[in-house]
Amino acid sequence: MGNKQTVFTHEQLEAYQDCTFFTRKEIMRLFYRYQDLAPQLVPLDYTTCPDVKVPYELIGSMPELKDNPFRQRIAQVFSEDGDGHMTLDNFLDMFSVMSEMAPRDLKAYYAFKIYDFNNDDYICAWDLEQTVTKLTRGGLSAEEVSLVCEKVLDEADGDHDGRLSLEDFQNMILRAPDFLSTFHIRI
Amino acid sequence: MLSDDHVNEIIIQVENVSSGVQSHPSSNQIFQEKVLLDSSINMVLSISDIDVIDSQTVSKRNDQKGNQVLRFSTSLNESMSQTLHSLECMGIDTPGSSHETVQGQKLIASLIPMTSRDRIKAIRNQPRTMEEKRNLRKIVDKEKSKQTHRILQLNCCIQCLNSISRAYRRSKNSLSEILNSISLWQKTLKIIGGKFGTSVLSYFNFLRWLLKFNIFSFILNFSFIIIPQFTVAKKNTLQFTGLEFFTGVGYFRDTVMYYGFYTNSTIQHGNSGASYNMQLAYIFTIGACLTTCFFSLLFSMAKYFRNNFINPHIYSGGITKLIFCWDFTVTHEKAVKLKQKNLSTEIRENLSELRQENSKLTFNQLLTRFSAYMVAWVVSTGVAIACCAAVYYLAEYNLEFLKTHSNPGAVLLLPFVVSCINLAVPCIYSMFRLVERYEMPRHEVYVLLIRNIFLKISIIGILCYYWLNTVALSGEECWETLIGQDIYRLLLMDFVFSLVNSFLGEFLRRIIGMQLITSLGLQEFDIARNVLELIYAQTLVWIGIFFCPLLPFIQMIMLFIMFYSKNISLMMNFQPPSKAWRASQMMTFFIFLLFFPSFTGVLCTLAITIWRLKPSADCGPFRGLPLFIHSIYSWIDTLSTRPGYLWVVWIYRNLIGSVHFFFILTLIVLIITYLYWQITEGRKIMIRLLHEQIINVSPLGSL
Repeated sequence: MGNKQTVFTHEQLEAYQDCTFFTRKEIMRLFYRYQDLAPQLVPLDYTTCPDVKVPYELIGSMPELKDNPFRQRIAQVFSEDGDGHMTLDNFLDMFSVMSEMAPRDLKAYYAFKIYDFNNDDYICAWDLEQTVTKLTRGGLSAEEVSLVCEKVLDEADGDHDGRLSLEDFQNMILRAPDFLSTFHIRI
Repeated sequence: MLSDDHVNEIIIQVENVSSGVQSHPSSNQIFQEKVLLDSSINMVLSISDIDVIDSQTVSKRNDQKGNQVLRFSTSLNESMSQTLHSLECMGIDTPGSSHETVQGQKLIASLIPMTSRDRIKAIRNQPRTMEEKRNLRKIVDKEKSKQTHRILQLNCCIQCLNSISRAYRRSKNSLSEILNSISLWQKTLKIIGGKFGTSVLSYFNFLRWLLKFNIFSFILNFSFIIIPQFTVAKKNTLQFTGLEFFTGVGYFRDTVMYYGFYTNSTIQHGNSGASYNMQLAYIFTIGACLTTCFFSLLFSMAKYFRNNFINPHIYSGGITKLIFCWDFTVTHEKAVKLKQKNLSTEIRENLSELRQENSKLTFNQLLTRFSAYMVAWVVSTGVAIACCAAVYYLAEYNLEFLKTHSNPGAVLLLPFVVSCINLAVPCIYSMFRLVERYEMPRHEVYVLLIRNIFLKISIIGILCYYWLNTVALSGEECWETLIGQDIYRLLLMDFVFSLVNSFLGEFLRRIIGMQLITSLGLQEFDIARNVLELIYAQTLVWIGIFFCPLLPFIQMIMLFIMFYSKNISLMMNFQPPSKAWRASQMMTFFIFLLFFPSFTGVLCTLAITIWRLKPSADCGPFRGLPLFIHSIYSWIDTLSTRPGYLWVVWIYRNLIGSVHFFFILTLIVLIITYLYWQITEGRKIMIRLLHEQIINVSPLGSL
């Protein structure tokens, strides 16, 4: 396999390979996808570690994300400052966690952060309402939405404090083996 | 480090923050307060953590909390690592771990003694940003190299091992890259997943997985049996008419396609060339094929069981799963909207089910329901048995029928009838739904599945019985080729029916649903039925591999064509599924099905063939032998005369051929299984106790 690429140094590529679930080729392919989002912003030479952030509007327009109800939350969770603008590191991180090789615990951790809209490390009733609203897109009435949130807290809240902690969430995920295959974005 | 006053100050800030965070999540101020909050909790708990560990009490809850905060404390490490990173880019070497928190140091300490493979796995699984992972990796590597520097003399061995493992890892990476690049249909699968979701995708993944089996079997067969046979092939004197593609007789009888064509001699080219014993090659190649399939199935099954098996004691929360298992693979706009609409409907149904949950049925209603089930089961079993009997008598009658009628297309009658049964009877079974009422729609799906499986397995079973008891003992010349031809015809007819169904049947259903009776709408892809068809075809291929070595190649082509036809039909004639389909659990079940009645049945059939049946006298690699297995016996006998191979004879006589060995092996396996079972039981008890502990310790739990 020839090292003909000039985008990264050998050490950088090795580091990416060791820190994500991607092979060298996939990392290069992802880099070119990232670069395509903002060709004038993203340089073709990353050996000097430029500090480049692609704004959220461009990330959210990617075909894999543009119709996802949670695209804004996903971008916010994986971006550096929580505002949705992503560096290449964030971009690779995001797709690495959402790939099919990431283990369940890692995915559960990030899924928890995505569903935690107010970033208080707990999924409270308000977070659940936001989630359900985004999922059903106005298909349910307000009364039904609150009924659903109540039911979810009933089912999943193990320590009965009125909100879901990370443990409750992970416990619930253990009983949902489909989670691993549904929390997956193919790129 | 922070002074005590500072810590107190921050703890006060902690209380303020936790009470009222409802505003815009990306507000910088709240974020900064969270920074301090996290770092303070970090400090406080790090001290308590050390205390806990020092006093050697294992308090799982504390540890858990420590871990939780470790994961959430991105900020402090991040700001430090950002400076590290920029310094790194400028090429300045930064000092090691003076700024890392205590948890970070513990993590590094735990990573250093691991092997490089485990270390990389652990780093990848860390829920940290890329920066932090990179720095972690850098620090651990530096520490590791410092350590190996210190113990340099003794360990040129270890350095050798390190370099070997590094080279191995690199070669594994490049191999997986190559495999990924030739991985089939990535883009098509992405589109299917984008429009229809994970459940329909699972069918196509299953098809691709079966294709891999067939490709492997074909390559093995081709290299070890077919190519040598080509070198000594006799000229084919028969005529070729187009009908052979469907009937498999005629011209094809004297080709490498069937068992009968293979020579039983030892092929030798030239005077001093190596000799190639065709008998042994045949039996060993087929054996190797099936053994690899066996182990591959076993490992896949174990992997799926491990990931997807839920302890049935823990309930399965209905609505929570609907909310949190949104299918992120769906990417097309229309599909997403449809999915959202379907989800609303499903949630509403779930809510209304919950309200009705408590209505109990009267005794009369229970009785009617129970008798409806009984009647339905009796009728379905009766229908299955009737079909089997019909197939058996038709097969028997077929032999005489063929002797009197000379129309070459007449051999297609049996496969045609079998395919019709496979098409019509499942439709009859799904009509039972009108009579039987199930509480949960899931039970309906399972019952339908079980009935269909029973039907298909009985048909294959009755055909095997017919082949092994009637055809093999009928005294026909070259009965193995006859069986091979039968299987080929069955497979081909099944394939033709499937194609016709895809292009004609589903198309008609779409016209009916869209234009004539618009209330029906488009149909949904019936995953269970299609997967069962795949399993049925694969079972036939595995049975036929002994009698028709080219069958994996034929199945390969058929699967290839079927992928494209199903894909085109899917895009044109179907709508995305409206109900949640438990893809992982169903896949586990289907792979288990592929292993348990399907593959084990094949092994039984072949075992009976090899150990009990007499090969035909005039054709094939085993001609003239009293039993197929005698080829192995005579090989062992010839080996025992050669001094260099006595160890093989020893292994055969004392390990494979001896009862004591298998008895001891079975005993050891049973003991290990029992031990593992006890360990699992113990862990279940511990999970329950810990769960209770969590509930009891929580502030509201004792209410």
